[in-house]
Amino acid sequence: MSRELNRREFISRGAATAGLAAASLRSPAGAKASAADGWGELTGRFLYDGTPPQRKRLKVDKDVDCCGKFDIRDESLMVGEDGGLGNVYVYVRTRGVPVCPELVQSVEKEVLLDNRDCIFMPHCMKIWYTEQVFHIVNSDPVAQNVTFSPLGDRPANIILPPLPAAAAEATWTFNRKQNVPVPIACNYHPWESAFILPRDNPYVDVTKMDGTFRIPKLPAGKLEFQLWHEKVGYLQTPRWSRGRFTVAVKPGINDLGTFRIDPAWLVKR
Amino acid sequence: MTGVKILSSRQLAGRIAPAVLAVALAAAGCGPSSPGFRLNTDGRRPAEITQVQQQAIAVALQKLFGETDDPNLPDGVDLKLALLQHAAGAVRIDTAGNQLGLYRQHCSMCHALTGDGAGSTASVQNPYPRDFRQGWFKYTSTAGGAKPLGKDLERILQQGVASTAMPAFNRLAEDEILALVEYVKYLSIRGETELYLLQLVIDEDAYLPLDMDEVIEDGVLPAAESWTAANQMKVHPAAGPEDPSQQLLASIGRGRELFLSKEAQCLQCHGRRGNGRGDQSELYDDWNKPKKGSTPQQTRLQARLFRLPIQRLRPRDFTRGVFRGGSRPEDICLRIHVGIKGTPMPAGGPAPGTAGALKPEQISDVANYVRSLSR
Repeated sequence: MSRELNRREFISRGAATAGLAAASLRSPAGAKASAADGWGELTGRFLYDGTPPQRKRLKVDKDVDCCGKFDIRDESLMVGEDGGLGNVYVYVRTRGVPVCPELVQSVEKEVLLDNRDCIFMPHCMKIWYTEQVFHIVNSDPVAQNVTFSPLGDRPANIILPPLPAAAAEATWTFNRKQNVPVPIACNYHPWESAFILPRDNPYVDVTKMDGTFRIPKLPAGKLEFQLWHEKVGYLQTPRWSRGRFTVAVKPGINDLGTFRIDPAWLVKR
Repeated sequence: MTGVKILSSRQLAGRIAPAVLAVALAAAGCGPSSPGFRLNTDGRRPAEITQVQQQAIAVALQKLFGETDDPNLPDGVDLKLALLQHAAGAVRIDTAGNQLGLYRQHCSMCHALTGDGAGSTASVQNPYPRDFRQGWFKYTSTAGGAKPLGKDLERILQQGVASTAMPAFNRLAEDEILALVEYVKYLSIRGETELYLLQLVIDEDAYLPLDMDEVIEDGVLPAAESWTAANQMKVHPAAGPEDPSQQLLASIGRGRELFLSKEAQCLQCHGRRGNGRGDQSELYDDWNKPKKGSTPQQTRLQARLFRLPIQRLRPRDFTRGVFRGGSRPEDICLRIHVGIKGTPMPAGGPAPGTAGALKPEQISDVANYVRSLSR
């Protein structure tokens, strides 16, 4: 399916559509009243089609006096009470997608990672690397470490002493987008794990525990999306080769509906 | 007699001559006998890669970076071609008496022609020779995960890396060292481009033929610019001269407290006594981590996809008095300040974006303590 999309053709069509949309935004008469005109929103839901296995207890053998009191469990497969599959990344794969100017204003200036209760919170993050800064904080009473090596970008490996040291907080900037989420680890506490996906646009979402995702203010037109889950990488399904699918995004809500994910699709071959 | 054909002398010459010519050409270095760059698809299953994809990547790299005998620089890459030409190619002497082919002479048997660290002698070494392709270099003086300075690489060439197979090349002339450093940077930029192309073509199923402008902008230039940007990230360690007096003893005392503290967590890996026997069970550097599976059986399967078997990393045992990146006070200060890239050893000093877990004076104290442990 993805091979039908001619990239150059899309960019020229997408740019034309965005140009029209932008023109309508800029026109004085329509500016305030129809800020959402021309932009689409993609929503959907993933359900884990089965009973999820019990989350394994992780081996907490460092700083046990501090970390031993927490019930630290594996976060690689998070399924909500109603079967929602959480922590699935859904993001636009199409290159050079025009970005809604409104999002530049409204986006949070930073993405926060907190070392708290001896785990990383949240587990899955996304960052619009040209507009946002990665802000890392240590809320634990022991020194923590944050390390990640994005492909083709600077590797990070910093110590975060406990508060009230000034270095309990640190910021990091990414210099390029990544095609798959970057794993984050802690050298002091090997059970800790998180992921972050730096992109050059805000069109990323991570499903919540109820399995839902929402990507607002997408440009109308044919867009290719990528699904990714830490258990398998690209979330390949019989319907979506390498976890990729194309949607003809229309202005307004584009609800993909609910998809049942077979547990077998989340097992790495 | 059947099956035997008697040839005239002219016919014979007509058959032998082309064969002789082919042998002569091969001996002269034309054709497949001169060594070329080989594609390193480490970690990917051969079934995932098609012949067309391999070809596309190889052709793109050749267009951008040339050959082992004839390096090329894409536009925007700030390296000196003359230095590359000094280091590249077969080992030979030019008419002016200069030794050429330095990389092949001194480096390629360990680091391989592509700089991927899987040369012919690599498998018997622990640690393995450096793989330049990710752009991670261990012993640097730059903060924030930046590339090393040229000076850092020169130091490694001059002094070698103690307790490893990397020798000291201090007998080489200065211009030869500079040529090799430049060639290492070239291999590193080429390597980062190769990794970018592997992801782009194989994982991301890019449309072929590749848009070379896009490859240069997205793949080559970020790698090249990171080397220039490293100059902004230089760290000046606070180590003072040796001071065999009460001050040094006091510094060692403070350093020991920091070493054992919850603020720095040095003992986690290096152990309470600094002998490398900390709590950490299994450590791997970033070059070996991808070889690790989640079970021992998976690790064995995974390891088959790489040229060299998985190798564990041991935290430094300070009691042995061996410091791979150099044993001067400022060398140890730098290891603590900027960390050792590609390994679990983190950066403890001030850098853009962080005040640093340890202040420069504290780093100096810890370095003095660490040095005092040598027996």
